[in-house]
Amino acid sequence: MINLIYLTVLLPLLGFLINGLIGRKIKNEKVIGIIGSGTVGIAFVIIILAFIETLALPVENRSNTVELFTWISAAGLNIKFAYLVDQLSLTMSLIVTGVGFLIHVYSIGYMHGDKGFWRFFAYLNLFIFAMMNLVLGDNFVVLFLGWEGVGLCSYLLIGFWYDRKFEKGTTSQAAKKAFVVNRIGDFGFLLGMFLIYFTFDSLNFKEVFSRAESFPVAELTFGLIALFLFIGAAGKSAQIPLFVWLPDAMAGPTPVSALIHAATMVTAGVYMVSRASIIFASAPAVMMIVAVIGLVTAIMAASIGLVQNDIKKVLAYSTISQLGYMFLAAGVGAFSASIFHLMTHAFFKALLFLGAGSVIHGMHEEQNIQKYGGLKKYMPKTYLTFFIATLAISGVPGLSGFFSKDEILWSAYANGGFVFWLIGAITAMLTAFYMFRLVSLTFYSKERFDHHHVHPHESPAVMTVPLMILAFLSVVGGYIGIPKVFSGEHGNLFEGWLEPIYAPALAKLATFGSHSHLEEILLMAVSVAAALSAIYFSLYVYTKKLQIAENVSIKFKGIYYLLWNKYFVDEVYEAAVVEPIQKGSEKLLWKIFDVKIIDGLANGVASLVESGSGIIRKIQTGITQFYAVVMMAGIAFALLWLILSL
Amino acid sequence: MANTNLYQSLSLIVPEIVLTIALLVLVTADLIFHKDKKSIPFVALAGILLTGYFTLIQIGNYGFAFQTSASAFKHYGMFASDPFSIFFKVIVIVSSLLIVFFSFSSDEIQKITDRIGEYYALIFGMILGMYFMISATDLILIYLSLELLSLSSYVLSGFTKLRDRDSEAALKYLLYGAVSSGLMLFGISLIYGLTGSTNLYIINSLIQSPDVNLFTLAFAVILIFAGIGYKISSAPFHFWTPDVYEGAPITITAFLSVASKAAGFALLIRFVKTTFVSYTDPNGMWQLINVFDWKTLLISISILTMTLGNFSALWQDNLKRMLAYSSIAHAGYILLGLVVFSDQGLKAIFIYFAVYMLMNLGAFLIVMLIANKIGSEEIDDYNGLGFTSPFLGVAFTIFLISLTGLPPTAGFIGKLYLFIALVDAKMIAVAVIALLNSVVSLYYYVRVLKHMYLTSPTKDTPAVSASLPNTILVSALVLATLVFGLYFSPVVDAAESSLFILGL
Amino acid sequence: MLTEFGKIFIFILLAAIFVIITLFISKFVRPNRPTKEKYLTYECGENPQGSPWVQFNIRFYVVALIFLIFDVEVVLLFPWALAYQEYGIYGFVVGLIFLLVLGLGMAYEWRKGDLEWARPQPKPPKLDEILKTKS
Repeated sequence: MINLIYLTVLLPLLGFLINGLIGRKIKNEKVIGIIGSGTVGIAFVIIILAFIETLALPVENRSNTVELFTWISAAGLNIKFAYLVDQLSLTMSLIVTGVGFLIHVYSIGYMHGDKGFWRFFAYLNLFIFAMMNLVLGDNFVVLFLGWEGVGLCSYLLIGFWYDRKFEKGTTSQAAKKAFVVNRIGDFGFLLGMFLIYFTFDSLNFKEVFSRAESFPVAELTFGLIALFLFIGAAGKSAQIPLFVWLPDAMAGPTPVSALIHAATMVTAGVYMVSRASIIFASAPAVMMIVAVIGLVTAIMAASIGLVQNDIKKVLAYSTISQLGYMFLAAGVGAFSASIFHLMTHAFFKALLFLGAGSVIHGMHEEQNIQKYGGLKKYMPKTYLTFFIATLAISGVPGLSGFFSKDEILWSAYANGGFVFWLIGAITAMLTAFYMFRLVSLTFYSKERFDHHHVHPHESPAVMTVPLMILAFLSVVGGYIGIPKVFSGEHGNLFEGWLEPIYAPALAKLATFGSHSHLEEILLMAVSVAAALSAIYFSLYVYTKKLQIAENVSIKFKGIYYLLWNKYFVDEVYEAAVVEPIQKGSEKLLWKIFDVKIIDGLANGVASLVESGSGIIRKIQTGITQFYAVVMMAGIAFALLWLILSL
Repeated sequence: MANTNLYQSLSLIVPEIVLTIALLVLVTADLIFHKDKKSIPFVALAGILLTGYFTLIQIGNYGFAFQTSASAFKHYGMFASDPFSIFFKVIVIVSSLLIVFFSFSSDEIQKITDRIGEYYALIFGMILGMYFMISATDLILIYLSLELLSLSSYVLSGFTKLRDRDSEAALKYLLYGAVSSGLMLFGISLIYGLTGSTNLYIINSLIQSPDVNLFTLAFAVILIFAGIGYKISSAPFHFWTPDVYEGAPITITAFLSVASKAAGFALLIRFVKTTFVSYTDPNGMWQLINVFDWKTLLISISILTMTLGNFSALWQDNLKRMLAYSSIAHAGYILLGLVVFSDQGLKAIFIYFAVYMLMNLGAFLIVMLIANKIGSEEIDDYNGLGFTSPFLGVAFTIFLISLTGLPPTAGFIGKLYLFIALVDAKMIAVAVIALLNSVVSLYYYVRVLKHMYLTSPTKDTPAVSASLPNTILVSALVLATLVFGLYFSPVVDAAESSLFILGL
Repeated sequence: MLTEFGKIFIFILLAAIFVIITLFISKFVRPNRPTKEKYLTYECGENPQGSPWVQFNIRFYVVALIFLIFDVEVVLLFPWALAYQEYGIYGFVVGLIFLLVLGLGMAYEWRKGDLEWARPQPKPPKLDEILKTKS
């Protein structure tokens, strides 16, 4: 099955081609939906088989390359279109196709009746195609192909309802914002790639990483490469300072938010950092930057999430915050923990978004949680699954989120220090708080919607079944990564599975201090206690005493205002970056440089060429004798030159 | 004794033998089916397919045919079968195949059905000439094959006799060809006078001796170059090109612009490489014998050619004429590949030719299909065609963009490898001039698009739709142009493996 | 010292000078009494009919070309005839093929009517006629 891995890429492409080319003619939504989700489903099955096959192999043979063809071969640059099937890419593809398949199925119900139904499935399949290239590529160029491909799909899907309004502008403005901000990151990524090729003379993962271990390369070079790569990752994974696009990306349909802007695409940055772990491990300073940025992003986004009222916005900030967690883990050298959290996060965040979609669906496209309330009795299945996901993300013991989050916190403590742990734990507390605020305002409390116009109802089975599957995964998904403290001699299964990938990087870091089990359990208990108290407090405030929340917001008006306006980041960017560039380009570049100099040059050259061509054309008289004369003149001239040069 | 030698020689020229037999069968068929000539094109098609098959079979069977009697050069002959020749022969035979397909649906050719046998027989004459030209390593064979090709082309370029300008084109072509072939013959005779041999390898070893008369040699070389330059239509021997391309039937124009040019280039490269290169160093650089300054000559000729071609094309209103000038400009680019005198440059030429064949034939095919319908090749008659005939419009757009050399089309790859070769040879200035020339060429290619897309169609604008076979043909060419623009390693690999020229 | 070519060059030069000088001498020495008959083109004693600058029938050229081809063929056959015995049956077959190809050319001309002096209908196709018959 490993050799057939290319099918998992080709099948979604096939789905895209069918739905994209003749989807408009297929009137039947069922057919389109089955083509769209079927291709991804089959891909998922193939990945599972490949996974089982890899598991059966001895550890040292688990990394296999499937070469398809030579893509670019020019001078020293030789790039093969090849897929790397190893522990990391298999884990990622399982998430992408598995969660992707569920979301595809869900979309059949969610997008029912939309006039762009076929277009939606075509884009989704294209996304899966690009994402699979991203995670399976065996060199930076294929990865970059997927990287740009998912960016394109993200753009297309954010602006999917191009005729709708979104906040102050339109969905296409949101799409453009996402695209432009991503370009900044891509620029960094490209620079990183150039530098890698320049330093290691290759772009193939295996070659680059083995050379990174053996080549005598200055730490500064490693630092620059890692920094550029991280800029790329920060753009794609919405980290400070490039996170501003993700909240706006919620303009797209909810399944898109679940698939692209929560479960898969935004985690591409985490994947890339973790794939290039050896490069990051060789640049300790950049590792620190990654950890700090992850941490600050986590707590900042979580604090914004406290006060937002749009159900999808809250989840968006929560996503940014959780991505910050993953970078924190990567930054302190716990790469497998970051991937582990990536996986559990994919389960529960996809579930949260899909649940939110189900709520929005049932509430006639209303997204403001202040206008929900008491929905528990109207949509019990959605409630139950949403509740499970909330428990998972809040880090309640026994659910998946607990294991992954706790491992990150522990690594942060062990490798980063107490402050890292403390901020991480506070973030976890905030997370628990705003998530239960969301649950309370949506499903408990009193009904605040207009009964005459809004009739909440449960979604159809095609939507709720994926919810239940994801809920199941959110509960049990963590048990493959039980920390060593509890599992004893078996160790952490997930970490053991990914270990060969990170062995070189970890060998280079080798800073894991020894801490006692008691310490670990103690810290765990503290963070759990903090989360549980936050949950209790949140439930108490938002179901019983809403008054307290209002009082607090009045009392800390300044902070509330700051959070409500998301720290004014958008406004600061507008004033500090967008405005000067716009002004400068209009006044200086356009009016003077472009119009006067460039246009002048272009027009001048054009008229020069034109008059030159007028003269040259006259040579072609149509008279044969003249042609012969010119030909002889040419020979005579050549002879003259010959005589002169002898 | 000599028989075994002869058998071996014959085994090396199997494709040429097959071509000759096909030619004879065509003539005979023309005589037998005097009344009903419907089957003739299929005979021609079968002949070309067979030749193509035998050309491919020839891969791996390399060597010299018709070896010289001079004892010191026993292993050199007058006909070389090597990877280099196979590559160019494949280019020639593939374009011939396409030309036969073009002829099936060309209106101009449909009108001369009673002489269709002669038409195909003459095309076969051209192919045979090209095949020998590509492999010839002896000045006599070079001259003979050149004449065989030329004579057939003279007749074909005025074959339809539908308009006065057809005959004018043929006559101009003949006169001009006679002049240049006379010059070439003179050059050959001088070389023979100098060295006493017509075999390129023997000449090569003789001109390495210090007492060769450099001036006479250079004079002779310039004269021979005039003959070859006329075949590849490089300035200042290009004047016949626009007139002939405009007057000849489109199928023949397309054939001349691709296959004939390919054969001319093959001849030029082989002539330069085997006669004037002493050895190829491990880096693939060709070491020229210091008797003639090929580099300066070729650089100036190629720059002159591409500049003249591009600048003259700017305001042409007839598309065939515009494409004629564009093909002159492309000859200039291709010459640059030779200028670097290295295997890398040769590789770039191979790639460029493979790509050029696809896009140029594609462009001519579209012009032909549109001319079939509207009876005109004037650019003003293309107004709004992009809207009424979307399929051909889009295909034409792709071909034109590829001819300009913009990604993601194959034309970009051709230019890319050419420029890489130039830059690697530290000829930045030349590369910049070529690049600027490409920019100029963008103007006249896009001008067609402007007429097709920026002018709204009136109700008189005809809708041109291609028949099913033509749709398949156009789609295949478009697809190839796009696919090779993205996935070009097969072309590069083929070029890489065809670098070997027998001998030095 | 002169090379061999130099000697030939002097020879050519002398020959040319000799001709020019003799022509000039005769010009000066001869009496000049022109009559109408003396200015007429000599045509074997016949009186000339009109100007000699007329267009000949194209068929003259065709026949001349065909003649040339077969003339050259004979020239090629002489060396073959002298040498083919050395190559045995193989040489014979080669010559036979050569002759067959030429024979085919002959048959082609015959069938196409190029050997007939007055072709039945020497009508080149004209565009408008074809269009007329088509419509």
